[in-house]
Amino acid sequence: MPLDTSSAYPLALLRVDGRRWNDLRRLHAAVRTQAAADGSAYLEMGNTKVMCTVTGPSEENKRRTAASTATGNTGGAGGGAGAGGAEVAVEIVVGGFSSVDRKRRGRGDKRIHELQTTLSKALAAALHTHLYPRSTIALSLHVLSQDGSLLAALLNASTLALVDAGIPMSDLPVACTAGLTSAASAADDPLVDLNAQEEQELPFLTLATLGDTDRVMVLVLETRVQAARLKDMVDLAADACKSVHKSLREVVRRRGEHMVEEGAVEKGASMAMDMDIDV
Amino acid sequence: MTSLRRPRDAEPNITNKVYIRSTKSGKVQKIVREVYLRDDIPCSSKLCTICPLKAPRSASGAMMPFVLSEKPAGTKEYPQGHYLVPDTNALLNAMDLFEESSAFYDVVILQTVLEELRNRSLPLYNRLIGLVKSEDKRFYVFFNEFRWETHVARDPDETINDRNDRAVRRAVSWYNKHLADNKGNITVLMLSDDKGNLEKAKSENVPATTLRDYVSGLPEADRLLDMIAESQERGISRDKKFAEFLYPEYYSMSKMMTGVKNGTLHQGIFNVSPYNYLEGSIKVPAFPKALLILGRDNINRAIDGDVVVVEVLPQDQWKEPSTKIIEEEAITKNENADGEEGGDIVTESERRALQEKVKKAQGLSTEGRPQPTARVVGAIKRNWRQYVGHVDQSSVSNAAKHGRKQESVFLIPMDKKVPKIRMRTRQAGELLGKRILVTIDSWDRESRHPVGHFVRSLGELETKAAETEALLLEYDVQYRPFPKTVLDCLPRDGHDWRVPASTDDPGWKDREDLRGLLICSIDPPGCQDIDDALHARPLPNGNFEVGVHIADVSHFVKPNNAMDTEASIRGTTVYLVDKRIDMLPMLLGTDLCSLKPYVERYAFSVLWELNEAADIVSVRFTKSVIKSREAFSYEQAQLRIDDNSQQDDLTNSMRTLLMLSKKLKQKRMDAGALSLSSPEVKVQMESETSDPIDVKTKELLDTNSLVEEFMLLANISVAGKIYDAFPQTAILRRHAAPPKTNFDELANQLKVKKGFELRFDSSKALAESLDACTDPQEPFLNTLVRIMATRCMMSAEYFCAGTQAYPEFRHYGLASEIYTHFTSPIRRYADLVAHRQLAAAIDYEPMHPAVRSRSRLEAVCKNINVRHRNAQLAGRASIAYYVGQSLRGRDAVEEDGFVLRVFSNGFVVLVPRFGVEGLIRLRDLADPEPESVFDPETYTLRTSGSREVLVELFMKVRVRVRDVKDEGTGKRGAGMELVG
Ligand SMILES: [Zn+2]
Repeated sequence: MPLDTSSAYPLALLRVDGRRWNDLRRLHAAVRTQAAADGSAYLEMGNTKVMCTVTGPSEENKRRTAASTATGNTGGAGGGAGAGGAEVAVEIVVGGFSSVDRKRRGRGDKRIHELQTTLSKALAAALHTHLYPRSTIALSLHVLSQDGSLLAALLNASTLALVDAGIPMSDLPVACTAGLTSAASAADDPLVDLNAQEEQELPFLTLATLGDTDRVMVLVLETRVQAARLKDMVDLAADACKSVHKSLREVVRRRGEHMVEEGAVEKGASMAMDMDIDV
Repeated sequence: MTSLRRPRDAEPNITNKVYIRSTKSGKVQKIVREVYLRDDIPCSSKLCTICPLKAPRSASGAMMPFVLSEKPAGTKEYPQGHYLVPDTNALLNAMDLFEESSAFYDVVILQTVLEELRNRSLPLYNRLIGLVKSEDKRFYVFFNEFRWETHVARDPDETINDRNDRAVRRAVSWYNKHLADNKGNITVLMLSDDKGNLEKAKSENVPATTLRDYVSGLPEADRLLDMIAESQERGISRDKKFAEFLYPEYYSMSKMMTGVKNGTLHQGIFNVSPYNYLEGSIKVPAFPKALLILGRDNINRAIDGDVVVVEVLPQDQWKEPSTKIIEEEAITKNENADGEEGGDIVTESERRALQEKVKKAQGLSTEGRPQPTARVVGAIKRNWRQYVGHVDQSSVSNAAKHGRKQESVFLIPMDKKVPKIRMRTRQAGELLGKRILVTIDSWDRESRHPVGHFVRSLGELETKAAETEALLLEYDVQYRPFPKTVLDCLPRDGHDWRVPASTDDPGWKDREDLRGLLICSIDPPGCQDIDDALHARPLPNGNFEVGVHIADVSHFVKPNNAMDTEASIRGTTVYLVDKRIDMLPMLLGTDLCSLKPYVERYAFSVLWELNEAADIVSVRFTKSVIKSREAFSYEQAQLRIDDNSQQDDLTNSMRTLLMLSKKLKQKRMDAGALSLSSPEVKVQMESETSDPIDVKTKELLDTNSLVEEFMLLANISVAGKIYDAFPQTAILRRHAAPPKTNFDELANQLKVKKGFELRFDSSKALAESLDACTDPQEPFLNTLVRIMATRCMMSAEYFCAGTQAYPEFRHYGLASEIYTHFTSPIRRYADLVAHRQLAAAIDYEPMHPAVRSRSRLEAVCKNINVRHRNAQLAGRASIAYYVGQSLRGRDAVEEDGFVLRVFSNGFVVLVPRFGVEGLIRLRDLADPEPESVFDPETYTLRTSGSREVLVELFMKVRVRVRDVKDEGTGKRGAGMELVG
């Protein structure tokens, strides 16, 4: 087994996987991975791998599945898009094989429910839901592999899938985690983009911002941390979000170019999309 | 944001590492981890001009200083200077060498090696980290697995070991090339004892050598060579001759795992009988009573404390536990350490010793009581440590006493449960008559005895310094002075530190001002580290306010700094007769934290409202500032309470406390709390010379019990509070109910010899039946029975709340549902953790991640359980040593003793006055040894012939006690002789 963060970091200022404090993991993403869906995306942040498909906006009867009922209410309410705006329903399926302990997480799992609610609220705030009254935007997320920063990966994948589905938004919502080495007080460095081992050992938070602005959409902190160190962690996470934003924009842009080359979209349309997200 | 982005698509610098991890439940998990390869991991040589330009920096921009000297020491072979890169086996075999101050500087520890070492031995890993942190040794950890030039991916059919070997060679070769790029002449040298790896290094032109060859070239080679593990040399010779195997081969790990899983084999901790080195026992879940393991071949190289796997023998081979005292010294004294091993593993003398040719009284029950008997088939985890002992004089040849010829000698450990150890040395002559420290390296099938190597000498046998150090080492007590990093954590003001005068000071934040309360402390005389103080006062409603105030150690010791880490390793303060080995530096323990009288101190207070019946009406917890009015000794407090002329508020409040404490005690007793016993004595010292002058049995006063009751109450209240707040991580203390079978023997003994009935279906029943075990003729009998009952108990342990179900929290001895330690944070680490958790539970301060992490707390619990036990044993051993010393040079004293245990060839006597136990063998009774008849059914030994005596269990005997030197262990202690 490798060393743990608190013993490795003070030795060489390196994290358990060889990163420095401010290195993000490899971020790999692909858009339009499932042609049948209205929008889809696949995203890896290190070994955390998630898939997202979007259905809608659809105006049919809202209550289609049990899952969307469970989260739809919160999604709609949390959207802040006012009455008549589209409801954002999020369903997360965690593969039993996705994490080391292979614990099965059922649909009723509290943790998953919490993730669904957080995502649905955050996304509804970024999307122009008012354009689609009385409709539902349904996101289905599959967690294929877990290695930390799960909420962040889910949100980033959702963003890409929603772009793919062509749903207008004010900017790309992006997310990243930041933690704190629990090493001796002097070298108490903040860290970005934690993997599973680090999440188990260190205090950490998940931050989502809107595009490369500093507008915070999500801030989840479930571990105790000294109040004095919180600011460093949030600052670092916000910086990391900007990096993530750049990556995602690049993915979207390349996807757009690709579509133009293939002639799937007229040139003007792709430009419009680019502009839409380039605010 | 300077975040590095990885190049897309082609990603040669990311790789996945696969680990296989087996969990506690035996499941195997595959873990895939990413590794990010980089080019900026520095070589850390002060000579280098390339690496400093891009070495990693911390968030504040600081870079790790470069440690390897630009002018390292040279050797004959590498006169231009060299750095060392030890392979894992070099560290495993000879960590002591690397800690030497005369050599082994400028050492590069590879990450591959560090990780491997950590998996193989945590203590060695910790020692290595200690070396890395000590700046003067210039050890540097090079994260070779993260640097792309030195990273090595495992080939499809390569073993992990081969891959690691390759990684080490790759790193050494890179280092050499890298330093050459810097135009340096320094050679980087691999140290390995792996023949295969050395050969490959040779063919790849990587500078490499064996540890032995390297050390041979150093000054003081003789001394250093002795510190190299024996095994490697033997490893070479093993190929030459086909050795005869003496012991059965161990099963493979997978065979053992499968066997344990399907119930055909059993796993447990091997224990050796203190009276018979050829008899062991092992407690396994499948059997209510411990399995018996009899004889050298069945013990099969297991050493006391090892985790082993055993196979139960067919029922017709089951045996009775031996009723004989068998000492290794007496049986094996003629074996030759240097001789060719061979022949049968069980020598004729051992076979004869084990055969029960004892004349037993016939007629009673002839069938005997054979017990499930087992044999060891493998070792899961060796629990070997360093052992203190002395060289068996008879194993040293005359030539070696003078010359410097290397030869094998036997080391006889102080701990009788550890077999003698064979070691090769060139300094046998010098080591005779010294206390020395050795390590066991291996115990192979073809070797009758374990093989070890010399670590260092502690000094002449029987000198106080050597014996005290020996004792500390035997019980693994960390006795070195606190390092500077720890002292740096102390408050700057030192002894001048005061509670801030202004209540606006941050130190006063959320603290209650309790300076007005009449608080006092009651402790043993001369106590300097005062953990606790108390007060009581009547409330207008007729109830009482009672406060227990505990030193606020967590204010001074912050989580995870060097001082905290040191304290967590030490775990507890160790009290020896003439010495105290502190858990925390003196400044805190005896001054700033200590609740000394007449000065203001920070405290953590538990405040109850108790009614007249001592029931808790309410309880609250707060950080506070107090001012103790007086520090009493138990005796002073007792005198003051008993003196009716004293009617001041302070004395009256002590009377209130005493009144309430009696009620609390009664309630505990009614609930079934046990009052157990161990012989406690106190050694009185001559103050000038610190020589012991007398031994006294400790006296217990009402005031002892007063303090104890309120400490128990505080601990219980705190336990409930922290468990409410942190149901997963609260640190608690439990005492499991003893398995019923533990009492079978004692119950039978009491029934047969005294007609008492011992009931043990609950702690209450046990407490009551113990109370009934009295003999008006012999007041000590009750205490004796309690001492014996105590030995049937489980030991209490610290644990993390989340690891047990609530019913398992129970403290059997105290008859409390939940319990923790809170009241002695100066001397126990568990209490310090409880303080931090309580502070978080009352929202005084947030919980530090280190106190929150369950896995970390579990590790802390595991460590302090061991430390706690060792501290007790060390304390007892120290008393035994001083009892021996106090008898030294005096005429033998006659004392009353009681027979604790009867064997077929001797018996054990406890002398209450000195609190010591002694063995009297048949051969000690008379010369020639008297004839004897032993009746195990009635625990009676009757001798005839040269001396006629009748000895039976619980019998009161008159013994002459004098100091003797045990030739076996070299320990001086009380020796006994039967009078009359
Ligand atoms: Zn360099």
